[in-house]
Amino acid sequence: MSNVITTNRMTLAYDKGEKEIIRNATFRIKKGEFVFITGPSGSGKSTLLKSFYGQIIPKQGDLVVGGLEMTHVSKKNLQKLRTHLGIIFQDYKLINEWTVAKNIVLPLIIAGYNVDMQQTQAQRLLKHVKLEGKGDMYPLQLSGGEQQRVGVARALSKTPFLILADEPTGNLDEYSSNVIWDLMENACDQLGATVVVVTHRIPTIFNIPYRHFIIENGGIHEVH
Amino acid sequence: MKSIKHHLMFILPLLAILLGIESFMVFGRVTASYGENLKKAYTILVVTRRPMTPEAFRKIDTNIDRVESVEKRSIVEQIAQGMSNASTQEILKSLPQFYTVRLNRYLSNAQIDVIKKHLTRDPNVRRVETFGQAHNANYNLYMLIRAALWMFVGFMVFTSLFLVVKQMEIWQLEHRERMQVMEILGASSVLRSGVLFRIALTDALIAALTTIGVFVFLRYGWVAGSEIDLLVRKQELFFQYKDVFVLFGIALLIVLISVVLVSRNVKEVRDV
Ligand SMILES: Nc1ncnc2c1ncn2[C@@H]1O[C@H](COP(=O)(O)OP(=O)(O)OP(=O)(O)O)[C@@H](O)[C@H]1O
Ligand SMILES: [Mg+2]
Repeated sequence: MSNVITTNRMTLAYDKGEKEIIRNATFRIKKGEFVFITGPSGSGKSTLLKSFYGQIIPKQGDLVVGGLEMTHVSKKNLQKLRTHLGIIFQDYKLINEWTVAKNIVLPLIIAGYNVDMQQTQAQRLLKHVKLEGKGDMYPLQLSGGEQQRVGVARALSKTPFLILADEPTGNLDEYSSNVIWDLMENACDQLGATVVVVTHRIPTIFNIPYRHFIIENGGIHEVH
Repeated sequence: MKSIKHHLMFILPLLAILLGIESFMVFGRVTASYGENLKKAYTILVVTRRPMTPEAFRKIDTNIDRVESVEKRSIVEQIAQGMSNASTQEILKSLPQFYTVRLNRYLSNAQIDVIKKHLTRDPNVRRVETFGQAHNANYNLYMLIRAALWMFVGFMVFTSLFLVVKQMEIWQLEHRERMQVMEILGASSVLRSGVLFRIALTDALIAALTTIGVFVFLRYGWVAGSEIDLLVRKQELFFQYKDVFVLFGIALLIVLISVVLVSRNVKEVRDV
Protein backbone atom coordinates (compact mmCIF):
# COMPACT_ATOMS: atom_id res chain seq x y z
CA MET A 1 0.00 0.00 0.00
CA SER A 2 1.17 3.50 -0.82
CA ASN A 3 2.31 6.07 1.71
CA VAL A 4 0.17 9.13 2.22
CA ILE A 5 2.61 10.85 4.59
CA THR A 6 6.35 10.17 4.71
CA THR A 7 8.82 12.05 6.87
CA ASN A 8 12.55 11.62 7.00
CA ARG A 9 14.54 13.21 9.81
CA MET A 10 12.10 16.12 9.75
CA THR A 11 12.63 19.09 12.07
CA LEU A 12 9.95 21.75 12.63
CA ALA A 13 10.56 25.22 14.07
CA TYR A 14 8.79 28.58 13.98
CA ASP A 15 10.37 31.74 12.60
CA LYS A 16 13.63 29.96 11.82
CA GLY A 17 13.93 30.13 15.60
CA GLU A 18 16.31 28.24 17.77
CA LYS A 19 13.55 26.31 19.47
CA GLU A 20 12.87 23.14 17.53
CA ILE A 21 9.35 21.92 18.23
CA ILE A 22 9.83 18.54 16.51
CA ARG A 23 13.27 17.03 15.97
CA ASN A 24 14.38 14.35 13.54
CA ALA A 25 11.00 12.76 13.07
CA THR A 26 10.94 9.75 10.74
CA PHE A 27 7.71 7.84 10.10
CA ARG A 28 5.30 6.72 7.40
CA ILE A 29 1.51 6.75 7.35
CA LYS A 30 -0.05 4.48 4.76
CA LYS A 31 -3.22 4.92 2.80
CA GLY A 32 -6.29 3.99 4.81
CA GLU A 33 -4.56 3.98 8.19
CA PHE A 34 -6.02 5.56 11.30
CA VAL A 35 -3.47 7.33 13.49
CA PHE A 36 -3.91 8.87 16.93
CA ILE A 37 -1.35 11.42 18.09
CA THR A 38 -1.19 12.26 21.79
CA GLY A 39 1.21 14.23 23.93
CA PRO A 40 1.33 16.95 26.56
CA SER A 41 0.03 20.43 25.88
CA GLY A 42 2.56 22.48 23.95
CA SER A 43 4.44 19.40 22.77
CA GLY A 44 3.88 20.23 19.08
CA LYS A 45 0.85 18.17 18.04
CA SER A 46 -0.86 21.04 16.24
CA THR A 47 2.45 22.06 14.75
CA LEU A 48 2.91 18.60 13.27
CA LEU A 49 -0.54 18.75 11.68
CA LYS A 50 0.25 22.19 10.28
CA SER A 51 3.24 20.73 8.49
CA PHE A 52 0.95 18.18 6.83
CA TYR A 53 -1.20 20.87 5.24
CA GLY A 54 1.69 23.16 4.36
CA GLN A 55 1.18 25.84 6.97
CA ILE A 56 4.70 25.32 8.26
CA ILE A 57 7.65 24.12 6.18
CA PRO A 58 10.17 21.69 7.69
CA LYS A 59 13.38 23.39 8.69
CA GLN A 60 15.35 20.24 7.97
CA GLY A 61 14.66 16.82 6.54
CA ASP A 62 11.91 15.72 4.19
CA LEU A 63 8.16 15.61 4.28
CA VAL A 64 6.03 14.14 1.50
CA VAL A 65 2.23 14.44 1.66
CA GLY A 66 0.08 12.91 -1.06
CA GLY A 67 3.13 12.65 -3.30
CA LEU A 68 4.13 16.31 -2.86
CA GLU A 69 7.51 17.33 -1.43
CA MET A 70 6.30 19.87 1.09
CA THR A 71 9.68 21.59 1.25
CA HIS A 72 9.50 22.58 -2.44
CA VAL A 73 5.80 22.51 -3.22
CA SER A 74 4.49 25.15 -5.63
CA LYS A 75 1.61 27.40 -4.65
CA LYS A 76 -0.60 25.78 -7.25
CA ASN A 77 0.08 22.24 -6.08
CA LEU A 78 -0.34 23.16 -2.43
CA GLN A 79 -3.70 24.71 -3.26
CA LYS A 80 -4.74 21.55 -5.06
CA LEU A 81 -3.58 19.31 -2.22
CA ARG A 82 -5.52 21.35 0.31
CA THR A 83 -8.78 20.96 -1.59
CA HIS A 84 -8.41 17.19 -1.11
CA LEU A 85 -7.78 17.38 2.63
CA GLY A 86 -10.33 17.40 5.43
CA ILE A 87 -8.90 19.62 8.15
CA ILE A 88 -10.48 20.02 11.57
CA PHE A 89 -8.91 22.86 13.54
CA GLN A 90 -8.47 23.06 17.27
CA ASP A 91 -9.99 26.58 17.16
CA TYR A 92 -12.60 25.51 14.53
CA LYS A 93 -11.77 28.35 12.10
CA LEU A 94 -15.37 28.90 11.06
CA ILE A 95 -16.39 31.95 9.05
CA ASN A 96 -18.59 33.86 11.47
CA GLU A 97 -20.43 35.98 8.92
CA TRP A 98 -21.60 32.89 7.04
CA THR A 99 -24.43 30.56 8.03
CA VAL A 100 -23.64 27.14 9.43
CA ALA A 101 -24.81 25.49 6.21
CA LYS A 102 -22.57 27.68 4.07
CA ASN A 103 -19.62 27.02 6.38
CA ILE A 104 -20.13 23.30 6.00
CA VAL A 105 -20.06 23.38 2.22
CA LEU A 106 -17.10 25.77 1.90
CA PRO A 107 -14.97 22.97 0.40
CA LEU A 108 -17.71 22.41 -2.19
CA ILE A 109 -17.85 26.13 -2.94
CA ILE A 110 -14.09 26.11 -3.44
CA ALA A 111 -14.40 23.10 -5.73
CA GLY A 112 -17.10 24.88 -7.74
CA TYR A 113 -20.05 22.56 -7.02
CA ASN A 114 -23.47 23.94 -7.95
CA VAL A 115 -25.88 25.31 -5.36
CA ASP A 116 -28.23 22.31 -5.50
CA MET A 117 -25.40 19.96 -4.72
CA GLN A 118 -24.26 22.25 -1.90
CA GLN A 119 -27.72 22.27 -0.33
CA THR A 120 -28.26 18.52 -0.46
CA GLN A 121 -24.83 17.90 0.98
CA ALA A 122 -25.35 20.49 3.72
CA GLN A 123 -28.60 18.85 4.85
CA ARG A 124 -27.01 15.39 4.85
CA LEU A 125 -24.01 16.53 6.89
CA LEU A 126 -26.08 18.54 9.36
CA LYS A 127 -27.91 15.31 10.12
CA HIS A 128 -24.65 13.39 10.46
CA VAL A 129 -23.32 15.76 13.12
CA LYS A 130 -26.71 16.07 14.82
CA LEU A 131 -27.26 19.71 13.96
CA GLU A 132 -30.52 19.36 12.02
CA GLY A 133 -32.40 22.62 11.81
CA LYS A 134 -29.38 24.75 12.66
CA GLY A 135 -28.19 25.29 9.09
CA ASP A 136 -29.48 28.85 8.94
CA MET A 137 -27.90 29.95 12.20
CA TYR A 138 -24.53 31.66 12.49
CA PRO A 139 -21.53 30.07 14.22
CA LEU A 140 -21.53 32.55 17.10
CA GLN A 141 -25.10 31.53 17.91
CA LEU A 142 -23.92 27.98 18.59
CA SER A 143 -22.28 26.45 21.63
CA GLY A 144 -18.59 25.54 21.49
CA GLY A 145 -19.40 21.88 21.00
CA GLU A 146 -21.84 22.66 18.21
CA GLN A 147 -19.28 24.84 16.45
CA GLN A 148 -16.82 22.00 16.69
CA ARG A 149 -19.30 19.69 14.97
CA VAL A 150 -19.74 22.27 12.19
CA GLY A 151 -15.97 22.09 11.73
CA VAL A 152 -16.13 18.31 11.52
CA ALA A 153 -18.97 18.42 9.00
CA ARG A 154 -17.01 20.86 6.85
CA ALA A 155 -13.96 18.61 6.88
CA LEU A 156 -16.03 15.63 5.72
CA SER A 157 -18.09 17.46 3.11
CA LYS A 158 -15.99 16.62 0.10
CA THR A 159 -14.83 13.07 0.96
CA PRO A 160 -11.16 13.91 1.54
CA PHE A 161 -8.43 11.33 1.01
CA LEU A 162 -6.68 12.55 4.14
CA ILE A 163 -8.38 13.83 7.29
CA LEU A 164 -6.28 15.91 9.71
CA ALA A 165 -8.18 16.47 12.94
CA ASP A 166 -6.91 18.55 15.84
CA GLU A 167 -8.83 17.68 19.02
CA PRO A 168 -12.10 17.03 17.17
CA THR A 169 -13.89 16.09 20.39
CA GLY A 170 -12.14 18.53 22.69
CA ASN A 171 -15.32 20.37 23.55
CA LEU A 172 -17.82 17.56 23.35
CA ASP A 173 -19.61 15.37 25.85
CA GLU A 174 -19.51 11.59 25.74
CA TYR A 175 -22.49 11.28 23.41
CA SER A 176 -21.35 13.90 20.86
CA SER A 177 -17.81 12.55 20.98
CA ASN A 178 -19.07 9.13 20.03
CA VAL A 179 -20.97 10.62 17.10
CA ILE A 180 -17.72 12.14 15.85
CA TRP A 181 -15.69 8.97 16.39
CA ASP A 182 -18.29 7.01 14.45
CA LEU A 183 -18.00 9.46 11.57
CA MET A 184 -14.21 9.18 11.61
CA GLU A 185 -14.26 5.40 11.74
CA ASN A 186 -16.68 5.38 8.88
CA ALA A 187 -14.61 7.76 6.76
CA CYS A 188 -11.61 5.49 7.24
CA ASP A 189 -13.29 2.13 7.04
CA GLN A 190 -15.97 2.71 4.40
CA LEU A 191 -14.55 5.58 2.35
CA GLY A 192 -10.90 4.55 2.58
CA ALA A 193 -9.66 7.89 3.90
CA THR A 194 -6.41 8.15 5.83
CA VAL A 195 -7.09 9.76 9.20
CA VAL A 196 -4.68 11.51 11.56
CA VAL A 197 -6.27 12.63 14.81
CA VAL A 198 -4.67 14.66 17.57
CA THR A 199 -6.42 14.01 20.86
CA HIS A 200 -5.66 14.05 24.54
CA ARG A 201 -7.77 10.95 25.14
CA ILE A 202 -8.12 7.95 22.84
CA PRO A 203 -11.72 6.69 22.97
CA THR A 204 -12.18 3.57 25.07
CA ILE A 205 -14.38 1.91 22.51
CA PHE A 206 -12.89 2.07 19.04
CA ASN A 207 -13.96 -0.42 16.44
CA ILE A 208 -11.19 -0.32 13.84
CA PRO A 209 -7.45 -0.90 14.10
CA TYR A 210 -5.35 2.19 14.72
CA ARG A 211 -1.79 3.31 15.34
CA HIS A 212 -0.74 5.56 18.19
CA PHE A 213 2.08 8.13 18.11
CA ILE A 214 3.23 10.04 21.16
CA ILE A 215 5.04 13.36 20.93
CA GLU A 216 7.30 14.16 23.85
CA ASN A 217 10.22 16.55 24.22
CA GLY A 218 10.40 17.09 20.50
CA GLY A 219 10.56 13.39 19.68
CA ILE A 220 7.89 11.21 18.12
CA HIS A 221 7.58 7.55 18.94
CA GLU A 222 4.99 4.96 18.19
CA VAL A 223 3.26 2.88 20.87
CA HIS A 224 2.84 -0.75 19.90
CA MET B 1 -26.66 50.07 9.84
CA LYS B 2 -23.06 49.10 10.23
CA SER B 3 -22.86 47.79 6.71
CA ILE B 4 -24.41 50.97 5.26
CA LYS B 5 -21.79 53.00 7.07
CA HIS B 6 -19.06 50.75 5.71
CA HIS B 7 -20.35 51.14 2.19
CA LEU B 8 -20.50 54.90 2.54
CA MET B 9 -16.93 54.97 3.76
CA PHE B 10 -15.85 53.66 0.39
CA ILE B 11 -18.53 55.27 -1.76
CA LEU B 12 -17.99 58.83 -0.52
CA PRO B 13 -14.27 59.15 -1.23
CA LEU B 14 -14.80 57.39 -4.55
CA LEU B 15 -17.59 59.83 -5.32
CA ALA B 16 -15.32 62.76 -4.45
CA ILE B 17 -12.68 61.44 -6.83
CA LEU B 18 -15.14 60.89 -9.66
CA LEU B 19 -16.92 64.24 -9.18
CA GLY B 20 -13.54 65.97 -9.16
CA ILE B 21 -12.44 64.24 -12.32
CA GLU B 22 -15.70 64.93 -14.11
CA SER B 23 -15.66 68.62 -13.08
CA PHE B 24 -12.18 68.82 -14.36
CA MET B 25 -13.16 67.33 -17.69
CA VAL B 26 -16.12 69.71 -17.98
CA PHE B 27 -14.05 72.74 -17.14
CA GLY B 28 -11.34 71.61 -19.52
CA ARG B 29 -13.91 71.40 -22.30
CA VAL B 30 -15.33 74.81 -21.47
CA THR B 31 -11.93 76.50 -21.56
CA ALA B 32 -10.99 74.63 -24.73
CA SER B 33 -14.21 75.74 -26.41
CA TYR B 34 -13.71 79.31 -25.28
CA GLY B 35 -10.13 79.30 -26.52
CA GLU B 36 -11.33 77.87 -29.82
CA ASN B 37 -13.77 80.73 -30.28
CA LEU B 38 -11.16 83.33 -29.46
CA LYS B 39 -8.74 81.71 -31.83
CA LYS B 40 -11.30 81.66 -34.64
CA ALA B 41 -12.11 85.32 -34.11
CA TYR B 42 -8.54 86.49 -34.07
CA THR B 43 -6.72 87.49 -37.28
CA ILE B 44 -3.52 89.29 -38.21
CA LEU B 45 -3.45 91.41 -41.36
CA VAL B 46 -0.32 91.05 -43.46
CA VAL B 47 0.59 93.09 -46.54
CA THR B 48 3.21 91.63 -48.87
CA ARG B 49 4.92 92.80 -52.05
CA ARG B 50 4.56 89.57 -53.99
CA PRO B 51 2.02 86.75 -53.48
CA MET B 52 2.90 84.28 -50.76
CA THR B 53 1.70 80.72 -50.21
CA PRO B 54 0.26 79.59 -46.86
CA GLU B 55 3.23 77.21 -46.54
CA ALA B 56 5.62 80.14 -46.81
CA PHE B 57 3.72 81.86 -43.99
CA ARG B 58 3.80 78.76 -41.82
CA LYS B 59 7.52 78.50 -42.37
CA ILE B 60 7.96 81.97 -40.91
CA ASP B 61 6.10 81.07 -37.72
CA THR B 62 4.73 77.68 -36.67
CA ASN B 63 1.79 79.25 -34.81
CA ILE B 64 0.27 80.34 -38.12
CA ASP B 65 -2.63 78.21 -39.22
CA ARG B 66 -4.97 79.29 -42.03
CA VAL B 67 -4.06 82.06 -44.44
CA GLU B 68 -6.57 83.73 -46.74
CA SER B 69 -5.74 86.30 -49.34
CA VAL B 70 -8.07 89.28 -49.44
CA GLU B 71 -9.90 89.50 -52.76
CA LYS B 72 -8.81 92.81 -54.36
CA ARG B 73 -10.53 92.56 -57.69
CA SER B 74 -14.01 93.56 -56.53
CA ILE B 75 -12.65 96.55 -54.62
CA VAL B 76 -10.58 97.72 -57.52
CA GLU B 77 -13.45 97.25 -59.93
CA GLN B 78 -15.56 99.54 -57.80
CA ILE B 79 -12.98 102.31 -57.73
CA ALA B 80 -12.04 101.74 -61.36
CA GLN B 81 -15.55 102.05 -62.79
CA GLY B 82 -15.44 103.52 -66.27
CA MET B 83 -11.72 103.04 -66.63
CA SER B 84 -10.30 100.87 -69.34
CA ASN B 85 -9.59 97.26 -68.64
CA ALA B 86 -5.89 97.92 -69.09
CA SER B 87 -5.76 100.58 -66.39
CA THR B 88 -7.69 98.33 -64.03
CA GLN B 89 -5.07 95.65 -64.58
CA GLU B 90 -2.40 98.28 -63.97
CA ILE B 91 -3.90 99.26 -60.62
CA LEU B 92 -4.34 95.64 -59.62
CA LYS B 93 -0.71 94.91 -60.38
CA SER B 94 0.60 97.89 -58.50
CA LEU B 95 -1.41 97.03 -55.38
CA PRO B 96 0.34 94.87 -52.79
CA GLN B 97 -1.08 91.54 -51.61
CA PHE B 98 -3.34 91.46 -48.54
CA TYR B 99 -3.66 88.40 -46.31
CA THR B 100 -5.61 87.58 -43.22
CA VAL B 101 -3.67 85.15 -41.08
CA ARG B 102 -5.21 82.95 -38.36
CA LEU B 103 -3.35 81.25 -35.56
CA ASN B 104 -3.59 77.61 -34.53
CA ARG B 105 -4.05 78.41 -30.86
CA TYR B 106 -4.91 81.21 -28.57
CA LEU B 107 -1.87 83.34 -27.74
CA SER B 108 -1.09 86.18 -25.41
CA ASN B 109 -0.27 89.68 -26.68
CA ALA B 110 3.40 89.13 -26.02
CA GLN B 111 3.42 85.94 -28.06
CA ILE B 112 1.64 87.74 -30.90
CA ASP B 113 4.31 90.42 -30.84
CA VAL B 114 6.88 87.71 -31.42
CA ILE B 115 4.96 86.49 -34.47
CA LYS B 116 4.76 90.05 -35.72
CA LYS B 117 8.51 90.37 -35.36
CA HIS B 118 9.07 87.14 -37.28
CA LEU B 119 6.81 88.33 -40.08
CA THR B 120 8.36 91.77 -40.44
CA ARG B 121 11.81 90.23 -40.70
CA ASP B 122 10.77 88.71 -44.04
CA PRO B 123 11.84 91.07 -46.87
CA ASN B 124 8.68 90.31 -48.84
CA VAL B 125 6.45 91.52 -45.99
CA ARG B 126 5.66 95.19 -46.13
CA ARG B 127 3.38 95.63 -43.21
CA VAL B 128 1.89 93.63 -40.35
CA GLU B 129 -1.18 94.77 -38.46
CA THR B 130 -2.02 93.04 -35.22
CA PHE B 131 -4.91 93.85 -32.93
CA GLY B 132 -4.72 93.91 -29.20
CA GLN B 133 -6.41 90.92 -27.57
CA ALA B 134 -9.58 92.42 -26.23
CA HIS B 135 -10.50 89.10 -24.62
CA ASN B 136 -7.17 88.66 -22.99
CA ALA B 137 -8.26 89.58 -19.48
CA ASN B 138 -11.22 87.26 -19.72
CA TYR B 139 -9.11 84.44 -20.94
CA ASN B 140 -6.52 84.93 -18.22
CA LEU B 141 -9.28 84.71 -15.67
CA TYR B 142 -10.36 81.44 -17.21
CA MET B 143 -6.87 80.04 -17.00
CA LEU B 144 -6.60 81.18 -13.40
CA ILE B 145 -9.84 79.44 -12.48
CA ARG B 146 -8.64 76.34 -14.27
CA ALA B 147 -5.39 76.32 -12.33
CA ALA B 148 -7.29 76.79 -9.08
CA LEU B 149 -9.63 73.96 -10.01
CA TRP B 150 -6.64 71.79 -10.86
CA MET B 151 -5.25 72.31 -7.40
CA PHE B 152 -8.59 71.80 -5.73
CA VAL B 153 -9.38 68.62 -7.64
CA GLY B 154 -5.86 67.37 -7.13
CA PHE B 155 -6.14 67.94 -3.41
CA MET B 156 -9.55 66.29 -3.28
CA VAL B 157 -8.39 63.23 -5.21
CA PHE B 158 -5.33 62.94 -3.03
CA THR B 159 -7.30 63.16 0.23
CA SER B 160 -9.89 60.76 -1.08
CA LEU B 161 -7.24 58.24 -2.00
CA PHE B 162 -6.13 58.38 1.60
CA LEU B 163 -9.65 57.58 2.72
CA VAL B 164 -9.80 54.71 0.24
CA VAL B 165 -6.59 53.32 1.70
CA LYS B 166 -8.06 53.68 5.20
CA GLN B 167 -11.12 51.77 4.10
CA MET B 168 -8.87 49.09 2.67
CA GLU B 169 -7.26 48.64 6.05
CA ILE B 170 -10.69 48.13 7.57
CA TRP B 171 -11.51 45.61 4.88
CA GLN B 172 -8.27 43.86 5.59
CA LEU B 173 -9.30 43.33 9.20
CA GLU B 174 -12.85 42.43 8.30
CA HIS B 175 -12.03 39.93 5.62
CA ARG B 176 -8.76 38.62 6.94
CA GLU B 177 -10.26 35.71 8.84
CA ARG B 178 -12.39 34.47 5.98
CA MET B 179 -9.64 34.89 3.40
CA GLN B 180 -7.17 32.98 5.53
CA VAL B 181 -9.55 30.12 6.25
CA MET B 182 -10.33 29.91 2.56
CA GLU B 183 -6.64 29.86 1.73
CA ILE B 184 -5.93 27.00 4.13
CA LEU B 185 -8.78 25.08 2.51
CA GLY B 186 -7.22 25.61 -0.91
CA ALA B 187 -9.26 28.44 -2.44
CA SER B 188 -7.66 30.37 -5.30
CA SER B 189 -6.90 34.04 -4.75
CA VAL B 190 -9.73 34.99 -7.13
CA LEU B 191 -12.24 33.08 -5.01
CA ARG B 192 -10.76 34.39 -1.78
CA SER B 193 -11.12 38.03 -2.81
CA GLY B 194 -14.41 37.43 -4.64
CA VAL B 195 -16.61 38.69 -1.83
CA LEU B 196 -14.53 41.80 -1.32
CA PHE B 197 -14.46 42.42 -5.06
CA ARG B 198 -18.25 42.22 -5.27
CA ILE B 199 -18.65 44.68 -2.40
CA ALA B 200 -16.15 47.11 -3.86
CA LEU B 201 -17.61 46.77 -7.33
CA THR B 202 -21.11 47.56 -6.06
CA ASP B 203 -19.76 50.65 -4.31
CA ALA B 204 -17.89 51.73 -7.42
CA LEU B 205 -21.02 51.35 -9.55
CA ILE B 206 -23.02 53.42 -7.08
CA ALA B 207 -20.37 56.15 -7.03
CA ALA B 208 -20.05 56.22 -10.82
CA LEU B 209 -23.81 56.27 -11.38
CA THR B 210 -24.25 59.07 -8.83
CA THR B 211 -21.58 61.15 -10.56
CA ILE B 212 -23.19 60.54 -13.93
CA GLY B 213 -26.57 61.41 -12.43
CA VAL B 214 -25.31 64.71 -11.05
CA PHE B 215 -23.83 65.82 -14.35
CA VAL B 216 -26.72 64.59 -16.47
CA PHE B 217 -28.96 66.64 -14.22
CA LEU B 218 -26.64 69.64 -14.60
CA ARG B 219 -26.78 69.33 -18.37
CA TYR B 220 -30.45 68.58 -18.96
CA GLY B 221 -32.02 70.03 -15.86
CA TRP B 222 -30.07 72.95 -14.58
CA VAL B 223 -28.22 74.21 -17.66
CA ALA B 224 -31.01 73.60 -20.17
CA GLY B 225 -33.53 75.22 -17.83
CA SER B 226 -31.34 78.18 -17.01
CA GLU B 227 -31.92 81.45 -18.81
CA ILE B 228 -28.22 81.87 -19.38
CA ASP B 229 -27.90 81.78 -23.14
CA LEU B 230 -24.18 81.09 -23.12
CA LEU B 231 -24.70 77.98 -20.96
CA VAL B 232 -27.66 76.72 -22.95
CA ARG B 233 -25.64 76.91 -26.15
CA LYS B 234 -22.77 75.04 -24.54
CA GLN B 235 -24.78 72.45 -22.63
CA GLU B 236 -23.21 69.52 -24.45
CA LEU B 237 -19.96 70.42 -22.70
CA PHE B 238 -21.43 69.55 -19.31
CA PHE B 239 -21.80 65.87 -19.91
CA GLN B 240 -20.78 63.69 -22.78
CA TYR B 241 -21.46 60.03 -23.24
CA LYS B 242 -17.80 59.17 -23.40
CA ASP B 243 -17.54 60.42 -19.82
CA VAL B 244 -19.50 57.32 -18.79
CA PHE B 245 -16.62 55.14 -19.91
CA VAL B 246 -14.00 57.35 -18.31
CA LEU B 247 -15.84 57.37 -14.97
CA PHE B 248 -16.59 53.65 -14.95
CA GLY B 249 -13.04 52.96 -16.06
CA ILE B 250 -11.51 54.99 -13.25
CA ALA B 251 -13.89 53.55 -10.64
CA LEU B 252 -13.11 50.01 -11.80
CA LEU B 253 -9.40 50.70 -11.76
CA ILE B 254 -9.53 51.99 -8.17
CA VAL B 255 -11.56 48.94 -7.13
CA LEU B 256 -9.20 46.51 -8.81
CA ILE B 257 -6.12 48.10 -7.29
CA SER B 258 -7.74 48.22 -3.83
CA VAL B 259 -8.86 44.60 -3.88
CA VAL B 260 -5.56 43.30 -5.20
CA LEU B 261 -3.67 45.26 -2.54
CA VAL B 262 -5.93 43.98 0.24
CA SER B 263 -5.71 40.35 -0.78
CA ARG B 264 -1.97 40.60 -1.19
CA ASN B 265 -1.68 41.98 2.31
CA VAL B 266 -3.90 39.28 3.79
CA LYS B 267 -1.28 36.75 2.90
CA GLU B 268 -1.53 33.51 4.71
CA VAL B 269 0.61 33.50 7.82
CA ARG B 270 2.87 30.74 6.70
CA ASP B 271 4.83 29.94 9.79
CA VAL B 272 8.32 29.38 8.48
N1 LIG C 1 2.61 30.47 15.41
C1 LIG C 1 3.55 30.15 16.34
N2 LIG C 1 4.69 30.85 16.41
C2 LIG C 1 5.65 30.53 17.30
N3 LIG C 1 5.55 29.52 18.17
C3 LIG C 1 4.44 28.76 18.15
C4 LIG C 1 3.37 29.03 17.23
N4 LIG C 1 2.39 28.12 17.43
C5 LIG C 1 2.83 27.33 18.42
N5 LIG C 1 4.04 27.70 18.85
C6 LIG C 1 4.82 27.05 19.90
O1 LIG C 1 5.08 25.72 19.49
C7 LIG C 1 4.95 24.84 20.59
C8 LIG C 1 3.99 23.72 20.22
O2 LIG C 1 2.72 24.25 20.00
P1 LIG C 1 1.49 23.38 19.51
O3 LIG C 1 0.36 24.30 19.26
O4 LIG C 1 1.93 22.55 18.36
O5 LIG C 1 1.23 22.47 20.78
P2 LIG C 1 0.12 21.38 20.98
O6 LIG C 1 0.82 20.09 21.22
O7 LIG C 1 -0.86 21.41 19.89
O8 LIG C 1 -0.56 21.88 22.33
P3 LIG C 1 -2.09 21.76 22.79
O9 LIG C 1 -2.31 20.36 23.24
O10 LIG C 1 -2.17 22.71 23.93
O11 LIG C 1 -2.92 22.16 21.64
C9 LIG C 1 4.49 25.66 21.76
O12 LIG C 1 5.61 25.87 22.61
C10 LIG C 1 4.01 26.95 21.17
O13 LIG C 1 4.35 28.00 22.03
MG1 LIG D 1 -2.76 22.00 19.67
